[in-house]
Amino acid sequence: MKEQELIDLIEKHVKYEEGSIEVYAPRKLKFILKKDDLVDTLLFLKRNGFVQLSFITCVDWIKDNKFELVYGLVSWEHKLTVLVKTFIDRDNPKMISIMDIWPTAKYYEQEINEFFGVYFEGNPNMSKELILENWDSMPPLRKDFDPQSYSNEKFEIRIYDYKMEDKKKK
Amino acid sequence: MGEIKALQLFHGPNHPGMHGNFSVHIKVDGDIVVEAEANPGMLHRGFEKLMERRNWMQNIALILRVCVVEPDINEAAYSMAVETIEGMDVPERAQWIRVMILEMARIANHLMSLGGIGGPTGLYTGPNWALVDRDLILDIFEKITGARVYHMYIVPGGVRQDVTDEILKDLEKVLDDIEKRLPEYRELILEHPIIQKRTKNIAVLTRDQALSWGVTGIALRATGVDYDVRKYDPYLVYDKVEFDVPTVDFSDAYNRLWLKYQEIYQSIRIIRQVIEKMPSGKVREKLPGNALKWRVKKGDAYVKLESARGEFGYYMVSDGGTKPYRVFVRGASYPQGLLGIEKGLPGTRLEDVAIWLDTMGVCAPEIDR
Amino acid sequence: MDKPKANLFSSIKSLKYLFKKPVTIEIPKVYREAADRYRGFHTNDWDKCIGCGTCSEICPTNAIRMEKVPGYEAGNGQTDERPVIDYGRCCWCGFCVDICTTGSLKMSKDYIFISPDANDFIYIPDEEGINKNYPEEGYRRNDETDLLELERVIMGHLSAEERGDSFIEYVRGYSKEEAIREASRCVECGICTYTCPAHMNIPEYIRTIWEDDLEKGVEYLYKTNPLPGVCGRVCTHKCESVCSLGHRGEPIAIRWLKRYIVDNTPDDEYEKVVLAEVSKPGKGKVAIIGAGPAGLSAAYYLRTLGYEVDVFEQMPLAGGVMRYGIPRYRLPDEALDRDISFIEKIGVRIHTNYKVDKEKFKELKEKYDAVFLSTGFFTGRKLPPHILPGSDHTDVIAAMDFLPKVRDFVRGMGEMPEVGEKVVIIGGGNVGFDVGRSVVRLQRMKYGKVDVTITALESEDILPADREELEEGREEGLKVVFSRGPKEIVIEDGKIKGLLTVKCLRVFDDEGKFNPQFDEEDKLFLEADQIFMAVGQAPDYNYIPDDIMEKLEIVRGKIKADEYGRTNFEWLFVGGDIKEGPDIIHGIANGHNAAKAIDEYLRKKYGIE
Ligand code: SF4
Ligand code: SF4
Ligand code: SF4
Repeated sequence: MKEQELIDLIEKHVKYEEGSIEVYAPRKLKFILKKDDLVDTLLFLKRNGFVQLSFITCVDWIKDNKFELVYGLVSWEHKLTVLVKTFIDRDNPKMISIMDIWPTAKYYEQEINEFFGVYFEGNPNMSKELILENWDSMPPLRKDFDPQSYSNEKFEIRIYDYKMEDKKKK
Repeated sequence: MGEIKALQLFHGPNHPGMHGNFSVHIKVDGDIVVEAEANPGMLHRGFEKLMERRNWMQNIALILRVCVVEPDINEAAYSMAVETIEGMDVPERAQWIRVMILEMARIANHLMSLGGIGGPTGLYTGPNWALVDRDLILDIFEKITGARVYHMYIVPGGVRQDVTDEILKDLEKVLDDIEKRLPEYRELILEHPIIQKRTKNIAVLTRDQALSWGVTGIALRATGVDYDVRKYDPYLVYDKVEFDVPTVDFSDAYNRLWLKYQEIYQSIRIIRQVIEKMPSGKVREKLPGNALKWRVKKGDAYVKLESARGEFGYYMVSDGGTKPYRVFVRGASYPQGLLGIEKGLPGTRLEDVAIWLDTMGVCAPEIDR
Repeated sequence: MDKPKANLFSSIKSLKYLFKKPVTIEIPKVYREAADRYRGFHTNDWDKCIGCGTCSEICPTNAIRMEKVPGYEAGNGQTDERPVIDYGRCCWCGFCVDICTTGSLKMSKDYIFISPDANDFIYIPDEEGINKNYPEEGYRRNDETDLLELERVIMGHLSAEERGDSFIEYVRGYSKEEAIREASRCVECGICTYTCPAHMNIPEYIRTIWEDDLEKGVEYLYKTNPLPGVCGRVCTHKCESVCSLGHRGEPIAIRWLKRYIVDNTPDDEYEKVVLAEVSKPGKGKVAIIGAGPAGLSAAYYLRTLGYEVDVFEQMPLAGGVMRYGIPRYRLPDEALDRDISFIEKIGVRIHTNYKVDKEKFKELKEKYDAVFLSTGFFTGRKLPPHILPGSDHTDVIAAMDFLPKVRDFVRGMGEMPEVGEKVVIIGGGNVGFDVGRSVVRLQRMKYGKVDVTITALESEDILPADREELEEGREEGLKVVFSRGPKEIVIEDGKIKGLLTVKCLRVFDDEGKFNPQFDEEDKLFLEADQIFMAVGQAPDYNYIPDDIMEKLEIVRGKIKADEYGRTNFEWLFVGGDIKEGPDIIHGIANGHNAAKAIDEYLRKKYGIE
């Protein structure tokens, strides 16, 4: 399938946000959806050849008070990759889990939950530790998490004991 | 004596059959796994966060640490993502050199994991041999890039410096040597009765499982589909070189080894073509200004390539500043390393767990980024 | 490829290696030489390193710290810091080598260093190397790995044809893209700031260009320089001569970037920034004599401190050398007017056509709390007839008597000055070229052809004028003869025939003093009907009352004063040419410093904290 054919297909069947469909590189497309249209669209794409979910990830747009969720789908059959994106509120962020469509989603969602604090409804692993153990601060990939001050607080700064005089070239 | 129904065990984080610190919690009934759960995090270094705090050039020194045996895929995916967002052209010669580097890395990686099967099976000649031959490749890496393991060579806009004809000659010789050695690996490992016993029909993956979990790479190709990013979504100059994508139609531990072995030949074939066809010219384009002030246009892109373990990609966002706004690393073994362990490991015998993890290519640092 | 079958014997074949030489090597018995590009331990050439800190900026692991070297005297264009590397952090990326501005930092092929003490892994790279073995160089930077942008963004000029017959400004100025691009070359090391006489916040304002926040840039400019529009055009840019980038490439075009900020900030925004500066109400009145760079600068800063300031200028227009010396094609009136207008807007009163003489001086002293002198070197010097016979002819003209007339002519306030058809200029400094290039333009207007020759004592490599003056002057048709000393102005029938010159063998003696030596035999006659002399300017102190003059010390024409312009009188301050010798940016710096000293004096006088 050519990029344009997919665009036509999507335009016919899917409601995406005005003007946001884009071929950003050969065989690679991206488009932005309303949150509520997301699941239907993903299902539609899966039925149309996009059998592989490559990843789900999240971007923190703290200035706009939004999280952007990005779903990367691959169709080997059509030789196309698409990024399906949606924005959700940053306060009390929620999304429906898609692990019934792609079981792998379970862990991607769990990771996003852990690192951004987005809650995926229907995923049993929410609030379960995956990577972080005994984490006691805000989800660390949020933009307002400052790793430097966290580490200053948690770890001692090592001071080396040397003098410039001793080291100086004679 | 009372009957013990199920026993919970920790496999790892340190285990001779597992590369990197990664642990699996398993429940066994007798010696059959009934439940398994990955427990990653031991290696997590927060790369994605660190990348947001370093500028476009500095990240080159960081990202490659996502994968020790095949660091170059990170440099390549990162650079290609920057180039896609910026709309930057990469000089032709640099693209050929990148292919060469990536294939060299693939050989090094496959050698290591081919020999590495000695770990879970207890056959330690394999790993030792493999390390020696991998070192030949590392020697070439050292000559080209100035470092053996972490090359920091592929950068946005091209590669850091040109390769000389002299180095290419050395490389040709190394390829010849490795090619001559490969039959010995066949004899030592693939024809070895113990290896055959310990890997055939073991750690089986079906095509449906592979597709629904999102498994890619050799594990998937062993189920009979020839999905390879280099063919299906060619990047760099992979469409200008000839090579085959070996497949078999039964994905067990043995066949996955067997495919790795065949892929080494294909990589050698590709590198030879590169050496022959590579045009001359410059090898690097740069962004305007000095490296402290490089800015990449606003935008985002997902760029993927075929690593030794499957589809490997970077999703990158730039807000037009001097640092990435967000980088997400899609490790090739993420699906099998988490969902795969949960769904696929039950039913395996305890002594085969390490073989399962090893031949499926579960790579801890890709999950713990 | 056929599939391998189980074969019990195949693996036994590997037993053959039992009798082969092992491929491993025994360390430390055998030393494995690293590859040519190996990224091993660093070395640093201390004579070349300038302590700019760029290596530490790029280091992705924060392994490099810049530390003050105890007892190290930093010369001009460097700092007293040197990089210190923590090998507990370094990841051997080599970016520090790629970006090192001077090329002093290198990597060697040395890769083994063992010590039980973690502190030993903090290392100050020098030429010896960490193992003190002067290791062989490994990884090298080349054009492709270089992380600096060495080439300057080319400044657009009008072509010699377009500019040669008019006095319009010929340097076009950077466009936004060009300026941002040029600004993005700066590594923000601040080396230039030390060297700039006014210590302008150079990296800071360059950064504002890069961030496209010019309002902020104007703010930075006015912190130390109230005449940025002028300086952005004609400053002698000493900063550029030390710019870190200049060691391996072309220095940042600091002057043009400054001009870009001034030219591209709209008036209203500009005003907002400049006027906001005036805050503190000071008590006292200051008189300033001479509205040149130093006077205006002092006036501006005194006014921002809240003092009442009156500037007295004998000429019809304010600006001094900027108005009457520098030719219009380099500094148009509009740029100067703009700078001065902001100085006036904040409340500085400038009284033009006001010549201060001994009487008036005394009045001013009575009426004001402090007096600042910045009357400049405004009198043209000529070689006297006993040194250069014929120099008293009326067609022998001093530069300073000519340039103001040209400017008045160009601004429509005077007749076209007399120019001959064949002109010779004595003096290879910037002023000589100012005269030469002005004459070129006037000749084109008047005769439609050019015949101007500059004779310089110096050879081409030590010519005092800026390189660009020489290049651009030649493009416009100037002829320049080097290493020629004037011998005699030949006059026949009361008319100048030309200049007889002799070969100048050397200009300076072994001690570096000005002491030219000539070869009287090697003669060259240059035909001319008019001769200009650009051999320096002189001050005029006739307006200073004798009793005061007596107590002032004059050293080689300049009034002796401390760094802040304080003289032997606590109420009298000096600055500009009469303190420092001719240079605009020094004048501005003097003005600024004197303002600080005057402020201190007045606060003490009125007991204000
Ligand atoms: S970049 Fe080079 S010149 Fe500057 S401080 Fe570092 S070593 Fe010295
Ligand atoms: S080699 Fe890299 S990590 Fe080491 S000091 Fe230089 S810039 Fe820093
Ligand atoms: S202009 Fe040159 S000397 Fe000044 S901060 Fe920039 S790079 Fe350094």
